[in-house]
Order: sequence, then structure tokens, then C-alpha cells
Amino acid sequence: MKAYTQIPPGTQILIGRAARRRRGLERAISSVFEGWSYEEIIPPIFDYYDVFAKGMGAGPEEQIYRFIDREGNILALRPEFTSLVAKTVATRLASSPKPIRLFYSGEVLRFEKPKGGRQREFAQIGIEHYGGAGKTADVEILLIAVETFQRLGVQDFQINLGSVDFFGGIVDRIELPPEQVAELKDFLNVKDQSGLDSLLQKLPLADRRKKILRALPHLTGGKSVIQEARELVKNSRSVEALDHLEEIYSIFEHLNLERRLTIDLAEIRGFDYYTGILFRAYVRDLGFEVALGGRYDGLPATFGEDLPAVGFAFSLDRLEQIVTPTLDVSENGSTSVQVDKSFEKALELRRAGKAVKLCL
Amino acid sequence: MLVIALCKGRFLEPSLAMLARADVRFPEDAASSRKLIFDSEDRRFRVVLVKPADVPTYVEYGAADAGIAGRDVIMESRADILQPLDLNFGHCKIAVAGKPGENPSLTSEFEFSELQENSNSLVRLGFSPRATVRVATKYPRITMDYYNARSIPVEIIPLSGSIELAPLIGLADRIVDVVETGQTLRENGLEVLEVIAESSARLLINRAGYQTKREDVRGLIQALEKVVRCESSI
Repeated sequence: MKAYTQIPPGTQILIGRAARRRRGLERAISSVFEGWSYEEIIPPIFDYYDVFAKGMGAGPEEQIYRFIDREGNILALRPEFTSLVAKTVATRLASSPKPIRLFYSGEVLRFEKPKGGRQREFAQIGIEHYGGAGKTADVEILLIAVETFQRLGVQDFQINLGSVDFFGGIVDRIELPPEQVAELKDFLNVKDQSGLDSLLQKLPLADRRKKILRALPHLTGGKSVIQEARELVKNSRSVEALDHLEEIYSIFEHLNLERRLTIDLAEIRGFDYYTGILFRAYVRDLGFEVALGGRYDGLPATFGEDLPAVGFAFSLDRLEQIVTPTLDVSENGSTSVQVDKSFEKALELRRAGKAVKLCL
Repeated sequence: MLVIALCKGRFLEPSLAMLARADVRFPEDAASSRKLIFDSEDRRFRVVLVKPADVPTYVEYGAADAGIAGRDVIMESRADILQPLDLNFGHCKIAVAGKPGENPSLTSEFEFSELQENSNSLVRLGFSPRATVRVATKYPRITMDYYNARSIPVEIIPLSGSIELAPLIGLADRIVDVVETGQTLRENGLEVLEVIAESSARLLINRAGYQTKREDVRGLIQALEKVVRCESSI
């Protein structure tokens, strides 16, 4: 039988120091979550495919690793945690007092071409808050994200906060066939201003709608962005979204944390599954986001219990690229005693709480 | 310092020229020297020279904060990057080409009659008559998307150069390639059968960099935007 030295594309093996670093990060972040009264949930690594097909935006269905069990059921390896947690909360924890605060840490699997910092197996750690509908829960999870960065000693982090309802309110008012709406979204998605402008010229939309769509890619920045947006939109859904964002921003100002927050009305990815606030966290000099979160009120209902839900997930793999290597990682073996005498000596040292290294 | 990935090849000089007009100046011999990295005179920018197909990769990973590449290359790479500006040079078309008068895709009538005609010569060359159109291209993804959207089954032959040769010696029925004047096609007895998309040089920006280095990135976009506007109004 041939020995395979290659590991399947998109996977990795952490040994020794790298593994300690991963666990150290996990411990540090978990303790932040526990410090806000979040309890761990350890769900299974696979579930029925349907659970994930309901979609937490794990990406296209083709990316989900599916397999068939002996009875012909279609199962899937988890591409994300949120669906599993939401299902558990909606079923087993339906009668528990709310709010329910849970965190998870572990691997998720997605069949993606391994590129762009994305593996096929990657480590996520995140929180879920169920039963809190208003801005209090939104602010809570944002503050936890901030503390996580601070605990890890990350200086240059930025949280981009937007709202699905802002763009939702605009789209509601656009009466165009779905292909054209999709085309609009494609241009907005990559901030292709010239493509957007030439498309808008051809579309039968009111000037005011064209104006807001044209301005959308640039609506990122501080509090002034909200004011700018207010002058462009009048529909109640978008206006309420702006009110909500402004309230959250004001709370952050009150706590002297507003410089960590960027209002991002231009971000429309995630529009299809988030229902309220939506945020992405970036760190300077890392080419990819390190955390993604938002509100997904509709999700527990698909599992039978209508509950508001909000949360986020950090990518441990990406955090590992930026967190300084000395964090919480002790050199293993540096304080261990070399035992070259006997097993008795080793046991004696162990009972005294010492680390040993056998060299018999 | 912002890092900009530029293509080696025919885009390099116009890219450097455009950057110069946007006040981002590099040493005179940048285009002709063998160096792959050089800094701007004011040290605010750094340019790295890469193969055109690699520009989107550098920008997607954030190894470069920005890049200039053709839309053809960007579409083929499917890189997750921002494309805030059409730089309005390097215009060409991504097109299906083949022998003059042919249908860009096989229809049932074509399948029957043309295969009959061609089958003898194809058989002589060792190929058996095909039911699926065979397309040679440097752009397998763009080609697959194009034919999928038309529900036409296709066999893609990925090649890296001299694509026009493929239909001439029976390797493929059609090609998908970029076309400027059409001269190369004509000289090889081929013509454009259908245009898939227009292509031109685009500015690419890393998504995270757009957020974390917003001022510098926006400054670059605005400066280039001004240059493009001025040039189009001439």
C-alpha cells in the first residue's frame, strides 16, 4: 500500500508550538466569552444536510461536504456552527429562560478552492445570543468583539457596521426584473462605479433612486455617513436602519470606543440571510476580514421557534496570522525536569505537580 | 505605503503613464529594467511586476493593496476583489472565434451537416466526429460560464498561447480569446463569431485594504478617476 505524504488540499496539521498557539488563542477568546456569561455548546460535527441547506450563508450549497448514511439519509459536515446552534436552541432549549448565550469553537468544512486564505477545513470561534431583539443585544456582541481584539493585543482593528435594512429599504422601492437587480448588486458588490453609472443610465428608475444607488459605494466612514444617507433616503425601512445604527454609534461614543467603529452602508454581501445589523472586522495589513457577524432573526423560526438571534464568528486561522506569537504560549518542556533515574522518581515529581521528561 | 501590482507586458507602460498623470511617479527606466519591485519618488507607493493572470491573486490576498489588470484576467480569476474604476485603456473584446460564417455554437442543424462535411478531414486527422463543441481557450472559466448560460454542452481545451492554431489543425472547433483589431484572427483565416464581453484595464483593490487603508486607497482611486475623466473629455 502506497504511503501518502501529501495531505488533502485545504487541510493543515498543527504540531507542537503551532498547536499550543491555537489552543492558547482559543482559551483566551473563550475566557472573554465566559466573562460575558456565555456558555459553551459543543455540537456534532455533522448533521442532516437540510439543517445547513436552510442556509446561514455558508456559501453555495456545492461547497457543503455531503455524504449518505446507511439508511440513505443525506448528511453534511458542518460548514458553519450557527445553524446547528439555532436548531438546538429552537428545539431542546425552546423553554429555557431567555436570553440564551452560547459560544462554540471548532472546525468547519467547506469545499472551496483553497485560495484567498480560505482552507477547506478552518477553525471558527464565535458567540450566539438568542432572545434579544433590540440594540442592547447588538451592542453586547459588538463590545465582546472589541474586547476579544483587546485581549489578544491587536491594536489596529476596525469593525465595519452596517444594516441589511438600509439596502433592503432601497431595493424594496426598486421595481425592476430580478436579473437587473442582480446586475446592480454585482456592480455594488465590487464598487464598480463606472459599471454602475452606465447601468443606471439605461434603467427606468426615478432620479432620486439613481442618486442613492450611485452614492452607495462610498457610504463608508464615521457618523457623518449616517447624516449623508439620511439626505438621500426617505423610506421608513432604511430610515429606521439609520436610526438604529446611530443609536449604536452613540453608545460607542459614550463608551469612548467610537474610533473602532466604521459605519459601512456600502457593504451588501450577506444581504440574503442577515436580517438586521451586519458587521465585519478587519485588521490592518491582513488581506481578509477576521470576523463576520450580524442578526439573523429568521433562522430559529425555520427550526420551529421564532426567536431573535444575533452573533458573530472569528476565524482562528486568520487571527493566528496577526496575533503576536508570544501571547499566552509558554515554552513547553522548559520547566520540565529530566528524569533519568527511575519511574518512581517520575511519579514522585508528578505527584508534586512537576512536569517531567523521561530519559530512562 | 500602498503596494500596486502591475502586469508585465503591454499594459505596463500605459499603467505607469496613467499613474504618473495621477502624481504617482516611478523612475524613468521602470518599464525597461529587470527589477520587479520599485518605489515611487515620494515613497508613498510601491509597484510590483507580475504576470497579468497573477495580478488578481496578489490583490485578493492583500499582498498588493491595489492592481491594474484587464477585465478578461479579472473575470477568469474570479478573485474576490473590488473593481472601483475602469481605466479606459487596453480595450479589447473577449470573443468566440472560428472559421468565417460558422455558428458560434452548435445547433442541431449544424451538428448534422457540418459534422458530415468535416468528418472526413477530421477522421483523416485521427479525430472522430463530435456531438459536443470543442473550444480551445486561455479562459476556461469564462468559456464555461458562457456556454452554460446558453445550455450548450462544451468540451474545453485549456491552452496557454497561440490559441488561433487550434481550429486550424483540428484540435478544436472554436476558440475563445481576446481580440483587439482582429488582425491576428484574419491572418489565420478566422473571424469573430460572437462577442462575450468587453474588456479594458481596471483598477483592482483589496477588500480589507479598502477599509483599513481607506484614505490612501480612496486618494489613489480619486486621483486616477480624475485622470480618466480628463482623458475621456479630450
